Amino acid sequence: MHATIRWIRADLRTRPGQAVLSVSVVAGVVTALILATTMLAGAMDPWKSVFARSHGAHVWIHARPGTNLSSLSDMSGVTGVSGPFQTAVATAVHEGQRAPLELRAMGSELPEVGRPVLAKGRWLDPARPDGVVLERTLARTLRAGVGDSLSVRGLDGRRYDLPVAGIADASDQGPYPSVTPGIAWVLPGVMNSIEPKTASTELLVGLKLSDPSASSFFVQHVVTVLGGDHVDRVSTWQQARASMETDSRLLGLLMGMFGVVALIAAALAIGNATGGRILSLLQDIALLKALGFTPAQIRRMLLLEQTCLGIAGVVAGSVLGSVLTDSSLSQRLFGSVTGVAAAPLSFGRLALIAIATLLAVVVATLLPAWRGSRVSPTSTVTAEPPSGRLSRFARVALLVRLPPALVLGARDAFTRRMRAAITVGGLAIPMVMVTIALGCWSTLDNFEDHPEQIGLAGALVAHPVGLIPYEASAVIAADKDVTAVYPEVQMDALLPGQTRTIQARALGTSKRPYPFPVQEGRMYAKPGEAVAGQGLLDLLQVHVGDRVRLTIGGAPVIVHIVGRTIEPSLSGEVLSFGMDTLDQAVRTTPSPSYRIVLRHGASVETARKRLLSESQDRLDIQAAQNPAQRLFVVRVVIFGLVIVLALICVANLLTAASVGLRDHMRDIVVLRAMGLTPRQVTTTLVSGTSVLALIAVIAGIGGGLAMSTRLIDLQGRTSGVGAGIGRAPSVLELVVAAVVALALAALMAFMLARKATNIDVREVSRF
Amino acid sequence: MSPAEKPAPDAAMIRTKDLVKVHHSDGTDVHAIRGIDLLVHPGEFVAVMGPSGSGKSTVLHLLAGLVPATSGEIWLRGSRLSDLTEAERAVLRRRHIGVVFQFFNLISNMSVADNVELPALLAGANPKQARERREYLLEELGLSDRADASPARLSGGQQQRVALARALANEPSLLLADEPTGNLDSTNTRDVVRLLEQVHDQGQTILLVTHDARVASAADRVISLFDGMIVDDADVRPPSDNKNAIGSILDL
Repeated sequence: MHATIRWIRADLRTRPGQAVLSVSVVAGVVTALILATTMLAGAMDPWKSVFARSHGAHVWIHARPGTNLSSLSDMSGVTGVSGPFQTAVATAVHEGQRAPLELRAMGSELPEVGRPVLAKGRWLDPARPDGVVLERTLARTLRAGVGDSLSVRGLDGRRYDLPVAGIADASDQGPYPSVTPGIAWVLPGVMNSIEPKTASTELLVGLKLSDPSASSFFVQHVVTVLGGDHVDRVSTWQQARASMETDSRLLGLLMGMFGVVALIAAALAIGNATGGRILSLLQDIALLKALGFTPAQIRRMLLLEQTCLGIAGVVAGSVLGSVLTDSSLSQRLFGSVTGVAAAPLSFGRLALIAIATLLAVVVATLLPAWRGSRVSPTSTVTAEPPSGRLSRFARVALLVRLPPALVLGARDAFTRRMRAAITVGGLAIPMVMVTIALGCWSTLDNFEDHPEQIGLAGALVAHPVGLIPYEASAVIAADKDVTAVYPEVQMDALLPGQTRTIQARALGTSKRPYPFPVQEGRMYAKPGEAVAGQGLLDLLQVHVGDRVRLTIGGAPVIVHIVGRTIEPSLSGEVLSFGMDTLDQAVRTTPSPSYRIVLRHGASVETARKRLLSESQDRLDIQAAQNPAQRLFVVRVVIFGLVIVLALICVANLLTAASVGLRDHMRDIVVLRAMGLTPRQVTTTLVSGTSVLALIAVIAGIGGGLAMSTRLIDLQGRTSGVGAGIGRAPSVLELVVAAVVALALAALMAFMLARKATNIDVREVSRF
Repeated sequence: MSPAEKPAPDAAMIRTKDLVKVHHSDGTDVHAIRGIDLLVHPGEFVAVMGPSGSGKSTVLHLLAGLVPATSGEIWLRGSRLSDLTEAERAVLRRRHIGVVFQFFNLISNMSVADNVELPALLAGANPKQARERREYLLEELGLSDRADASPARLSGGQQQRVALARALANEPSLLLADEPTGNLDSTNTRDVVRLLEQVHDQGQTILLVTHDARVASAADRVISLFDGMIVDDADVRPPSDNKNAIGSILDL
């Protein structure tokens, strides 16, 4: 043991650079994994923690006023009831932002079940009877804080200024504005003054179930008990959970993939580094064996050394990762995506990451250590570099008169095939990931540059406030930047037997349909035809071409789904058809809002302000929510992780270049003796590494291209948005990525080669 | 091993029987050793000579258990090498055999002091004992001031002397040296030979591979190899001078 430790100490002392490299690679990977897991854990389960803290109800039912709900608490399987609470619709205005509201009347005492989780400020207090508590995502969108005065308008248009008393989380609904309306809690007195007509209110009741998984069946039962015409809207905890996830699922997927790829790439980098290190130690290892080290001792020694370095890296990475995830910056960054603070990783998760990384280190060391232990003890005296004959490739290269230095270098790259393969793999895998990341990036770019391709052709949505529809469309169409206006009515549709409501949207007319991006089938062209998002097709388990029956505004409607569109909102659970279909189905069509398509290149914000003044504030105009905005943090993440991958690549390249160099120490002397100029010697060494890098870059980009669009579409499909959103990275981006990678490789090799060409001939010939 | 425990003939230091070694390279068989029978008694100083390619180094590697024989047997201090596992051969080496090669004798990432202490530590000595032994050996070889140097900073002669110190660190009963003076000038060669003679005088068995007749003249016995076979085996010391180990002790 003394001997082993003595050797490890001496080795670490004489090659501190390599040791630091190994430690930093491991530390980088651990940091990346901790960041990824923290965000993933928070992003995957924002619902879970809120639900637990709110003693959440599993099923929420919006019933018509006057419905007798007392029978619900007696139903078997119900373990707790929240409410009923009276609710009313209203509109909030704050700093020019408007938001549709669902006012919920609640007492000053929080309910036992389904209680809002107060995040800031105080709960409703009879001492301040006009106070309002806002749901957190709603408050964020309105930019309203505790103490601000919120202007609320009822259906009759009267305005009330309510002070914001607190901000709370709710577990029954996804984040605003993906899910509307936003939630605001008021005391019953405020509710009565804003909405005096009971007929315009609804009753909300939440039920806690003994068997949460049976919520769908239970809802069906409730609808039967209460009668279908008494139930307006039903939601389950699964829906709430899913709608909270949609925000960050792409992020989670990306982070997870990056984590795994980083681990694989790091294992290869560690393997490469260890392999290279052991290769450089072959003579010493042979001598150690001649001195009486047993093969097992050699293996243990190499494993022990790498494991120690690995532990140092894991500790450094854990500290760095914990500091980063605890920092206020990462909390802000994270909170802005999910709306929920990310909890620091549990000790168990941290330990799991540490153990997984350490295992990767050990596995990556096993093979080189085993090979090291098999070195013949006499290789000390018979050591010769592996001889490679000129390959056919090299002979052809010489025939076409490529510079000899280039050919020599290219040949050298493959003299150690196993190592060449590891080097190529270690570079190609991160390149695949970089290509996929660039694909995500250009998909996001495409969301922003061509919103019409994801169903957001109408950049603005206008709700008339005190304008009759004809006037409204005339005012909008008169604007110079507006190219088209489409009337829109959004209604909840109840799916019989499905026990859920989905959004039914009449937008455009059969003669003049809204420019939906139809990916499969065709656009609706006559009354009774509709297009749907992937989420809805999956929910109903139907395909394009099927007919579905649903209840819209109390009336049964049968629609023929003729196409699938890209649908970025509501997990794709949206059915769209022409206004004429709605007119035929329901007797009184609600007054429409308008989707406004602007001239290409027109500023959305300028147009919004101009339209506001042109309509004399009788239009409420909102910019359509582009998913690219809330996915902005994905770009930050992509950027950060590409840097981590680049670092791993650099570590890999350094090892590859230095191993190549060590192999050729003696060759260099011979080459110089043969009359190669220092520049030619450098070229030989640089081209050796560059050839491997070139192969890796081509393989990586090819693999990445093959996967990226497919992966993004798969993600689109599973999230309900639908396949067809994926975009390949632009040629320019790929060329830049390839050139940067190759330049990096050449630079690493060049730096080492420069050192090599200056080495003292005597020093080399002695060893 | 002290000369007082002079073993019986069957307790020979080295005994080989019909030793054959065939190298395989590039698809052809090269017969490096073609049947060697050798007997070396404890305390003998044997020089193995022969032209390049006669199999000198191969014999030494076989005897040290560094490479396996193709056929035939080797007994070292009574144990048959083919019965031992690789690990057991390694343990045998670390306890009883010191090896010096012509090149690449020192572990490049360890200092001179570490190189010399390593065998002792490997054999289970505690760091203090190892350091004392190292200090003594380097003192003897006039290298005390280079203890912390890296091997790369030493001259060829210094490297060989450190290698010798390292080989002697565990007081091995058998010293195997492969051309220890092969790349040294005459002054350095003389120093190394003098050292070997000293060691031999203390009773250690030495088997030395060399092509230098002056070096071989220090030995009691010269074996000539040619084409993998022993062609001559001769005592070279005058009878009065040809002392066995007991004689050496008396001389001291």
